[in-house]
Amino acid sequence: MSELADAIAELNEDEAKRLVREKIDAGVEPLSIVDECREGMDIVGGRYKNKEYFLSELIVSGEIFKEAMAVVEPLLKGGKQAESLSKMVLGTVKGDIHNIGKDIVGTLLTAAGFEVYDLGIDIAPSIFVDKLVETGAPILGMSGLLTPSFESMKETVKAVEEAGLRDKVKIIVGGGIVTEQVGKYVGADAFTSDGPEGVEICKKFARETK
Amino acid sequence: MIKETMTSKERVEAAIKLEPYDRVPVAPLMDVMFPSRHKGMTVAYGISHWKEGLQAIVDIFDEVGGWDAMILPGYSLALTPKVASGVMASMGTRGYKFPGQDAAVSENSQPQYEERERLTVDNYDEIIKYGWSGFAERNRERYTSFPPEQIIAWAKKQTEHYAREGETWAQKGVPSLCGAIVESPLMFLSTKRSLTSFTMDLHRIPDKVEAVMDALVDDLITDTIEAARLTGIPGVMLVLERGGCFYYPLKIFERFEFPYMKKMVEAFAAEGLITVMHFDQDWTLNLPYLKELPEKICIAELDSTTDIFKAKEILKGHMCIAGDVPASLSAIGTPEDMEAYCKKLIDVVGDGGGFILSSGCTIPANAKFENFKTMIDTAKSYLPAR
Ligand code: B12
Repeated sequence: MSELADAIAELNEDEAKRLVREKIDAGVEPLSIVDECREGMDIVGGRYKNKEYFLSELIVSGEIFKEAMAVVEPLLKGGKQAESLSKMVLGTVKGDIHNIGKDIVGTLLTAAGFEVYDLGIDIAPSIFVDKLVETGAPILGMSGLLTPSFESMKETVKAVEEAGLRDKVKIIVGGGIVTEQVGKYVGADAFTSDGPEGVEICKKFARETK
Repeated sequence: MIKETMTSKERVEAAIKLEPYDRVPVAPLMDVMFPSRHKGMTVAYGISHWKEGLQAIVDIFDEVGGWDAMILPGYSLALTPKVASGVMASMGTRGYKFPGQDAAVSENSQPQYEERERLTVDNYDEIIKYGWSGFAERNRERYTSFPPEQIIAWAKKQTEHYAREGETWAQKGVPSLCGAIVESPLMFLSTKRSLTSFTMDLHRIPDKVEAVMDALVDDLITDTIEAARLTGIPGVMLVLERGGCFYYPLKIFERFEFPYMKKMVEAFAAEGLITVMHFDQDWTLNLPYLKELPEKICIAELDSTTDIFKAKEILKGHMCIAGDVPASLSAIGTPEDMEAYCKKLIDVVGDGGGFILSSGCTIPANAKFENFKTMIDTAKSYLPAR
């Protein structure tokens, strides 16, 4: 494991920042800095899965990752572009304003290498569809924490169908009360109530839709 | 139906004191949303029309043949007539702005939610120096456009409404459990800083956060006791969500949540106030600590994400448990599912006393009436074979 990955995995914010600076000054390829940061985030994800880490550690590592990216990203412009795993559209469905889980999973997805188009909260089916069309993203992630949100999810899946995109787009639904039953009911391809698990599923989707 | 030998009040008191009861008491956490919808009003209408909203709750109560207690008597706020209370309310306990609370929100609008940082790191020093009340008074204009006299008048009116809600139920023989609502310092700061920013504060400047909590907690305690005195209802709801094991490791809980929780509960108990600990999210790993809190004067109110059966094992003989019919069961389950779940709760969690059958958090707006009625009926009719 690289020192930088380790600093992120240990949630050592100052050390991570210092290492990023040091590497940039030493002329290290920005892209490989990004990779090291991702490696750190992977370790955090693993520790969360093993219950060594809690949600707070996901949040802290996500913030450290964002800070590192704020420094590295501008340097990627013009140079070798970071290759995204996949584009992906994300949002909390119509009628639902819970954004905390969606934001966390958005950060985790970005850290994992996804190009995430986060539409925000209370998103109508047509807006999801428009964004899928505009970006050509092959993955749609919908968040919902309320039971009435299952209807909005279902409607969105229907709208994706009606737009003729259903066979091109993999759909995952997530949120604290989302279960297998819900996933089936709304017609999604996958479901989760766990951020890191959702990221793993999206990685699988990215491979399948490549 | 079970032959009843106790009044609702006696039954609920027995549950809290872990004494025998004739049957498990049932007390949903009821706000105005489900009753409004059931009565054909919009939720927004119910929320902004106090009389009709309260009447809608009373109507549902009568329709199902009543229940044993109101955890909260209605939906007004219990406040002390102080500028700081008004400022806290306008910051929104949970991020809401209630209609009529702020000049910018019209009387008829939906509760508006704002996810923004209502406190910044820069405010921490000022809170440490002046306490919560001092900070609120000094920063009043940031949070509300009302002048001080109007804030105080508004706070008084809220509290009067709250007391009248309590009286409405008392006349029906139904006790209300909480005469005031307060958040733990961790919950208070997390909701006002936002989850992410506050989590970073804990990581970056833990000592300062602790100092802020030390500066907050006494004002929170004093104001809450005062509010409960004004409403005349001898209990407090302590709102907890962010400090549990769903969000944080135990080392955070041990330093930033538990000591304050303990201090608050002990202070309330010393005044003879019961504490309903409103646990949103999963607190399973935190349960053993609750045995260090005063016994037989608190209720652990669980929302269905904490393992209520584990809670029973751990808290048996020490603390009453309330909960935890899942919101999704009320909304999309069948009456049969509901009956089976309530029976299981009564059998296992109700065993030996110390249980109040309740909804996991509030009854959702889209609950099915049949399901709700089944929950109430099951408590009244099901006697476990023991
Ligand atoms: C915080 C909260 C709120 C806050 C929201 C603040 C915000 N900015 O988001 C406020 C106070 C505003 C709120 C409002 C309401 N809420 Co609310 N709220 C909660 C609470 C306590 C926690 C939710 C949360 O933030 N969890 C933390 C995050 C990190 O977890 P998460 O969302 O599950 O996300 C994780 C995973 O699920 C996953 N994930 C999430 N989304 C996605 C998406 C994808 C694509 C993927 C891959 C993964 C993924 O990744 C995350 C990280 O692991 C829950 C209780 C609970 N036990 O869940 C109730 C709850 C969701 N709320 C509820 C209700 C009823 C409401 C209200 C109607 C009012 C009320 N009575 O409280 C309003 C509705 C407003 C609206 N129109 O949406 C109910 C829902 C009941 C139901 N079944 O319908 C719950 C379950 C509480 C309850 N038992 O009554 N609420």
